[in-house]
Amino acid sequence: MQYKTRKERLVWLDIMITLLTLELMSYFYYGIRSVFLAGVCVVTGFAAELVSLRLMKRKFTADDLTCTSDALILALMFPAVMDYHISVIAVLFAIVVAKNLFGGRLNMIFSPAAAAYVFVLTSWERQLLQYTEPHIKTGIFETPSNLVKSASYVFDHTGTFDHSDFEVLLGNFSGPAGAVSILLLAVAAVVLMMRRSISAGAFLGTICGTGLFAVVTPMVSSRSDSLKYSLVTNMVLFSAIYIVSDLRIAPKRDYYAFFYGLFIGVISYVLVLTGAKENAIVIVSVLFTPIALGFKHLEKKIDTAAQEHAAETAADEAAETAAGEEAASHE
Amino acid sequence: MNDRKKAVLGGVLGDNIVLSGLMVISPVIICGDTLKNAEALIYAFSAITFLSVLISSFVPKKLPYTVKVIIYALISALVYIPVKLAAKEFYPESIERIGIYYPLLAVNSLIVFQTEAKFFRMKKTDMIISLISCIAGFDIVMLLTGFLRELFAYGTINSRIVDVNTLIGGLSQPFGGFIFLGLMCGAYRFIRGLVSGNNNVRSDADVSDK
Amino acid sequence: MFLINDLIALLAANLILSQALGTSTIFIAAGSRKNLVATAGVITIFTTVGSAAAYLIDLILQPSVSDLRLLFYTIVIGVLYAALLAAVYKFGNRWFEDLRRYIHLSAFNCAVMGTLFTINKRAAMDGTMFNLGGYVSAGFEAGIGFIIAALILTAAYRKLNSSKVPASFRGFPAMLVYLGIISMAVYSLK
Repeated sequence: MQYKTRKERLVWLDIMITLLTLELMSYFYYGIRSVFLAGVCVVTGFAAELVSLRLMKRKFTADDLTCTSDALILALMFPAVMDYHISVIAVLFAIVVAKNLFGGRLNMIFSPAAAAYVFVLTSWERQLLQYTEPHIKTGIFETPSNLVKSASYVFDHTGTFDHSDFEVLLGNFSGPAGAVSILLLAVAAVVLMMRRSISAGAFLGTICGTGLFAVVTPMVSSRSDSLKYSLVTNMVLFSAIYIVSDLRIAPKRDYYAFFYGLFIGVISYVLVLTGAKENAIVIVSVLFTPIALGFKHLEKKIDTAAQEHAAETAADEAAETAAGEEAASHE
Repeated sequence: MNDRKKAVLGGVLGDNIVLSGLMVISPVIICGDTLKNAEALIYAFSAITFLSVLISSFVPKKLPYTVKVIIYALISALVYIPVKLAAKEFYPESIERIGIYYPLLAVNSLIVFQTEAKFFRMKKTDMIISLISCIAGFDIVMLLTGFLRELFAYGTINSRIVDVNTLIGGLSQPFGGFIFLGLMCGAYRFIRGLVSGNNNVRSDADVSDK
Repeated sequence: MFLINDLIALLAANLILSQALGTSTIFIAAGSRKNLVATAGVITIFTTVGSAAAYLIDLILQPSVSDLRLLFYTIVIGVLYAALLAAVYKFGNRWFEDLRRYIHLSAFNCAVMGTLFTINKRAAMDGTMFNLGGYVSAGFEAGIGFIIAALILTAAYRKLNSSKVPASFRGFPAMLVYLGIISMAVYSLK
């Protein structure tokens, strides 16, 4: 099935509502610092978009508000106590370099948030992958203390995950501010798929790919535990919704999108399994950009061929009708 | 600026070999992360290119193209030897860091291909001025890249520590070089478009993606 | 699983993404399918056969005269260049006009010469690689790496040259940034 083109502003609204609920949860666990960080990112993203569009001599429309959702996605992938300078640089990279340099929303190549996340990972890995424990609230300008590794890191390296299912569902374990609230993410995924604001094919493909390999080659002795923890750790669910299934990036047809997601899920799982690469799914989604572009190119070719075929059939039918009418008039 | 002046002096700004022609970009991307590396590369590139093109200009024009290209490459490979020996005296540390990119400077397209396409079609004096302007174009880009990447990646200028609030470590890596050079190319084209007042001719390729 | 890891390793060792060797050449190769196939094919021949010859040179050349290595490599590439042109002229005269520009383009550039020097450097560090098979397979791998990088660029070629990209960044600058971001993702996997 191919999605009908919906106005980007409506998709943005849906995405934004789900992101704000995640931000609310983040506020509950990490306090005002998390909200302030999100605010800094959103304001920076908005300003960067305005300036870029002005330089490109384009008008700002409501469709361009996607810059704020990209910035918020990025903020939710960061620790709540992330350095503000780094956050600002990351958002500038996302909006200016990964998005508008290639023509902005009209010509998207990379997911801005994913590209910026990998950028931060390569330059400030230590700051990016250290978190405060839930319920430890840091002041807006306070220097964070007692930083810990994420639950994903511990699981990837030791195969242990010391949190109850209830804690997992509510996101009560250390990790990125918005990517751990599993229950909310699951609800968001269902709502966004039903509203067609994300690519259902890509989302299901990612989940199936990760899940399938988690069962076939489990990370821990129990297959069910392997399946459960592989989906809730390493930002798999969050990335599957907001990065891999981004309508601007994923292939349009669900069939292709499914395989695109499936490959991302499988490869990122293998990277976590063999190299304990934390949050590998974000890196793989950037690496898979050429594949997504290839699928889109194929879709265009198929559409063109279908249109040509339809035009030919219509022309043949018209010719046949005309010939029939002519024969009838002769009789 | 008339056409002759443009052809002779364009190498610095109008038609910069790195930012416009995308020649010799590998050393800029990989080794242009500190001023010291930049200095060593500037020395090597300037010496090898200038001497090689100058000596190559005496190669008979009547020879087949392929033979001439091979001879130009051999001349630059020979010029490379004394230049490298001298560099061991002046830039011993940088040679180690620059590694394989040092000999690669000797097979740069300015020597191997531009000689035929551009330089040897000019009068000798024009050729020398044009060559110097092309070399200066590379040198300026290299210096600027080395300075900015060192400043923002390591927080130093020529190995002296300066106060930079947030360092971007990735800028010192190859991918940082790619992105930085891409941004520089874009900025260069933007400025060139503003200066020439021709905003339309800023791209080398234009494909409709419809 | 091992296949995926091998693929990642091949990407990580890619000479274009990790060492920027042959970047200018790849921009030309990615322009069309014909360019891509022809340039990648010729470069793979140069890197593979050139590596075999480079092995013989490295075997003979004393460390005290290592500065002569470039000269010998240049002679090797020069001979290969002339031989390939002659072979195409003799056996594929019909395609000579088409193919010769790819041979000219692929002979003396950073992709080929850089591969030879990289293999030499690797062999100097890892003695087990210092044999003809090691050199030839590394040369062939470099050619395959070139093809992969060219395919990565080809996938986005139209978008990077689209009229929607700001004029200042259209074409080469956008390609550089695009390759930079892919290279960044590869780097972060290490």
